[in-house]
Amino acid sequence: MKKKWMLASSMLLLVLGACSNEQAAPVADFSQQWSELTEAAQGTTVNLYMWGGSDSINSYFDEWVTPRLEEQYDISLNRVPVNDTQEILTQLLDEKTAGKETGSIDIMWINGENFRNAKDNDLLNQPFADKLPNVADLVDQQAPQIAEDFGIPVDNLQAPWGTAQFVMTYNSEDVTDVPTSFEQLAQWVQDNPGQFTYPALPDFTGGAFVRHALEEIVGTEQFTSDEPLERDEFDKMMQPVWEYLNAIEPYLWRAGDTYPESLARLDQLYTNGEVAYTMAYDPIKAAAEVQNGRFPDSTRTFIFDGGTLSNTHYLAIPFNAENPLGAAVVINELLSVEAQAAKLDPANWGDLPVLDFSKLSDEQQQVFTAIDLGEASLSIEELESKRIAEIPSIYVEWIEEGWLENVAQN
Amino acid sequence: MRRSSFYLLLIGLIFALPFVPALIASFGGVWRFPTIIPDGINLRAWESVFSPSSRTLSAIFLSLWIAFCVTVINLMVGIPAAYALTRKKLRFQSGIEAVLLAPIFVPALAAVMGIHLTFLRLGLTETVIGVILVHLAPSMPYVIRAAMISFQTMNEEAEDAAKMLGATKSQRFYHVILPHLIPGLTAGVVLSMLISLSQYSVTLLIGAGQVITLPILFVPFLNGGDPAIGSAYTLVFSAVALALVLLLDGGLRSYYATRKGGCHEWI
Repeated sequence: MKKKWMLASSMLLLVLGACSNEQAAPVADFSQQWSELTEAAQGTTVNLYMWGGSDSINSYFDEWVTPRLEEQYDISLNRVPVNDTQEILTQLLDEKTAGKETGSIDIMWINGENFRNAKDNDLLNQPFADKLPNVADLVDQQAPQIAEDFGIPVDNLQAPWGTAQFVMTYNSEDVTDVPTSFEQLAQWVQDNPGQFTYPALPDFTGGAFVRHALEEIVGTEQFTSDEPLERDEFDKMMQPVWEYLNAIEPYLWRAGDTYPESLARLDQLYTNGEVAYTMAYDPIKAAAEVQNGRFPDSTRTFIFDGGTLSNTHYLAIPFNAENPLGAAVVINELLSVEAQAAKLDPANWGDLPVLDFSKLSDEQQQVFTAIDLGEASLSIEELESKRIAEIPSIYVEWIEEGWLENVAQN
Repeated sequence: MRRSSFYLLLIGLIFALPFVPALIASFGGVWRFPTIIPDGINLRAWESVFSPSSRTLSAIFLSLWIAFCVTVINLMVGIPAAYALTRKKLRFQSGIEAVLLAPIFVPALAAVMGIHLTFLRLGLTETVIGVILVHLAPSMPYVIRAAMISFQTMNEEAEDAAKMLGATKSQRFYHVILPHLIPGLTAGVVLSMLISLSQYSVTLLIGAGQVITLPILFVPFLNGGDPAIGSAYTLVFSAVALALVLLLDGGLRSYYATRKGGCHEWI
């Protein structure tokens, strides 16, 4: 009896194992004629893995992008909600180890540290971005914040898709004199104790806030140079920043005894009126939150005099994508003027376009300028004029560690 | 009597209380001090949760189907395992028991990280079967434990008596053993279903995003700063879980009602 079972179960495993001997994915030829490529992609399905935690982003895809792709290219888009992009990189890494040559992911939404990991581990398909007509025609591929992703050369392994920029959000009923520098911020915080705080690192937005302090107090020339810094050099340079943050700590929310553990928590505090500021690495989020009633109507945003950090987010095709050509068609369409404009509209999502305005016709520019970004948002021109590039992602990690050591444990 | 219904009400309240803020948040209400009634009530979150493109309903059915299959397999494996562990003299008895119950102490994700590579080679990733198999690990110990306790509290002589009276092996199982096991097993079944329903990380890893269960849809919202939708999903999830518990409880009661005066009385 027992033996029979053993036999049966091992047979089952053998059968299952035999099924998995899939054929290798054909090498994607991105350099063929674009019209041929779109034809080849017709009638296929594209699996897009992206963060699924925002209702507005999800519905931008479900209600705007997916029907359009169906109609124009006969491609059906399957959006898979992801909680943390690291999870799909783990999946890809295991698939690479196990030799699985056709995976389920055709497109993934990544940037920064995740891109570095994917590139280092050869998890990406061949270079494709410059082969897409809309990238070639509408994007400034030489711009530093597009050609490099947190200091890592993009090498066409991912296509730029949208721009994020840091803004400070405040309630104009509580804040009349807007502190547009860290010097002024320190003064404001002292005059109004308990009204300001920032998310505890390693929260990404909290980290961005600290990087702005670094930008103003120390300057970032040394960080963006080609010579990478040693850890102890870096730590020494961070000292004035830790001093600044420790100096304002007693005047923060709850006297700095604790920090909100995430941006979501800080937004909650702001929504409840406990603090007068929040922040976002997304300049139009505040307007969207006013629109859906979470943030008070008196919400406004500002950027620091020295500018605010900006980075690009990208779309990439994994090494074992089953449908790389379909993926290329979808990414190209997401970079069209119409799709980028719809993405900018706060009614859909409110994400800044990645297109170079000087490459657009007057009519095309009009499409963007006609969009109402909401009273809480700054104009695209103002944002664009005060953009600074991110520092390499290894320093981002070091700042997170340094903050825990020098500020949180103090 | 009055006193006990008061306590019942109190317990009910304590149970229901945590859901009140979730309910308010799910309607987009912002509860600012010192307002009494939250303002900005709207149906955005509920519309989004039940919009056709959200796939919520299909995710609920798939989650329940997976939980059901997991539980059936758990029972098929768990009852014989518990029987052997309590009734037979096995070599390495405590060793086997420790292995079977180990998943309670080892986080499922730690084990599944290794299983993932094996499943990739076997082609079990991206399949419902693969997800069912990994849900077995964290849930089976509870079913085995529940069945073991039932066996331990059962008087072995009852089985012998039935044997003496000429009951066959299967008759003894259905008429003597099973009635005694049912209450304990119901607890095991409820746990097994609930554990399967609430798995996120292992489902994501093995299902690779192609097996969309309820947690796959709602976990991104919980961490994503959209408390309204996160709350609405939490309530949907709790409702599914509660309905399941009530259904099983009701089933158990009606089982006893029809079996009143049955053979379990003399066990």
